Amino acid sequence: MPTVYLAAEENVLRIHWDEFTFGLIAFLIILGVVYKMWPRLTKALDERADQIEGGIARAQKAEAEADEIRQQYREKLEEAHREYAQELEKAKEQRAAIIAEAREEAQVEARRIIDAAHAQIEADRQQAFVQLKGEIGTLSTELASRIVGESLSDSAAQNRVIDRFLDELEQSEGKQQAEVR
Amino acid sequence: MGADVSVVAASESGCHLFGDGCGFEAPTVGSLFFPTPWVDFGLAGTSGLTKYYLVAVVALIVAASFWYFTTRRAKVVPGRGQSVAELLVGFLRDQVTRTTMGKEGDKYLPLMVTLFLFIFCMNVMGIIPGLQLPVTSNLAFPAVLALFIFILWNVVGIRRHGVGAHFKARLVPGGVPGWILPVVVPIEALSNFVIRPATHMIRLFATMFAGHLLLALFAAAGFYMFNPTSPMGPLFGAISVGYSGIALLGFLVFTAFELFIMAVQAYVFVLLSSIYLGEAMEGAH
Repeated sequence: MPTVYLAAEENVLRIHWDEFTFGLIAFLIILGVVYKMWPRLTKALDERADQIEGGIARAQKAEAEADEIRQQYREKLEEAHREYAQELEKAKEQRAAIIAEAREEAQVEARRIIDAAHAQIEADRQQAFVQLKGEIGTLSTELASRIVGESLSDSAAQNRVIDRFLDELEQSEGKQQAEVR
Repeated sequence: MGADVSVVAASESGCHLFGDGCGFEAPTVGSLFFPTPWVDFGLAGTSGLTKYYLVAVVALIVAASFWYFTTRRAKVVPGRGQSVAELLVGFLRDQVTRTTMGKEGDKYLPLMVTLFLFIFCMNVMGIIPGLQLPVTSNLAFPAVLALFIFILWNVVGIRRHGVGAHFKARLVPGGVPGWILPVVVPIEALSNFVIRPATHMIRLFATMFAGHLLLALFAAAGFYMFNPTSPMGPLFGAISVGYSGIALLGFLVFTAFELFIMAVQAYVFVLLSSIYLGEAMEGAH
C-alpha cells in the first residue's frame, strides 16, 4: 500500500462504496429472511392468543354455567324442602282424619255387631221359648195320659211315674240348653 | 508503524515492559480499522476484500440463520429458540414500535427486528475470539442502515401526507412566527436532513470504534507488560506479570461492558429509527 495513500485511507469517517454495497446486500438478505419467516411467527403468536382467549372465554362460560346450575339446584332443594314440609303437614292431617274415620267406623261396626248379637240372642230366646212351650204341652199330655193309664191306687207307682217324668223333663231341658248354646 | 501491522504483530515485535529499552507502542487506528485487503479491487473509493467482509459475512450468517432456525417451525407452544425470538420481538414491539408508532408500527416490526439482529451481530463480532472486529466500526455499515432509514422516513412521510406536507412539517415547525422562518427553516433543514442521519450512523460507528480501540489497547498493554524473563531481574519480571494481570482484568471487565454497550447501541439505533418513522407517520405536530 503506497504511503501517499495512507493519510486518506486512515480517515475513520471513510465510506468505501464496495463495503457500503456489501452492507446493503447483507442487510437486504437478513430483511428478506425475517420477512419470509415473519408470517410463521405471527401465525403461531395469533394462534396462541386465540387459544388463550378461547380458554379464558371457555372458563368464564363454564363458571357462569356452574353458577346457574348451582342456583337451580339450590332453588330445587328449597322447593323440595318446602314440598316435603307441606307433604308432612298434609300427611299428619290425613293420618288424623284416617284415625278419626277408622275409630268412627269401628264404633259403628261394634255397635252393629252388638245389636246383631242382641237380636240373635232375642231370636234364640224366642225360639227356645216357643219350642219349650210346645214340648211342655206334649210332655203334659204324655204325663197326663200316663197318669191316667197307670193304676192310681198304687201310690208307690204314682211316685215312680212322677219321678220318671221329672227326670225326662230335666234331660230334655239339658238337651235344649245345649242346642241353644 | 504502518497500516498493515496488526496488534498481534505489535506484541510480537518484542517490545516489553522492563525490556531492552524499546517503549510501548499503542495499537494504531490504521492497524485496527484498516486491515490489509487480501484482494485489492484496484478501484478508487474501494477498500478491497478485507477482514470486514469476512466478519460481515459471519454476522450475516449468524443473524439470518438465528432468525431462520428459531422461527422455521414456529409453534403455539414455543421451543427454546422460538422463545428467544419471541422475547426479542416482544421487547422490540413493546419498548420500541408501540411506544413510538402505536399499533400502526407493528408493520415495521420485521424491519426493526432485522436492524436489531444485524446490528447486534455486527457489534458482537468485536468480542468473538478469532474475529474480534466489530463490523459497525467501519462507517460504511452503519451508513447503509441509517441511509435506509432516512429514505424510508421520507417515503413514509410523503406517502402519508404528500410531498408538500411532509417537507413543510419537517422544515417549518408549528407555532413559529413568520418573521423568524428565514432563520428557522435552514436550521431545520440542516438538522433534519443532514445532521440527523449523520448522527444516526456516527453514534453507532463511534461507540463501536471507541470500544474496540479500548479493548485493543488493554490487550496490547497486557502483552507489552507481560515480561517474566525481564533482563532487569526476576523482581521486575514478577511486577510485569502483576501489571499484565491488571490489564487482563481490565480487558475482561471491559469486554463484558462492551457486550452491554453493543446491545444498548443496537437498541438505540432501532429506537431512533422507530422514532423517526413515527414522526414521519404523524406528520406535522
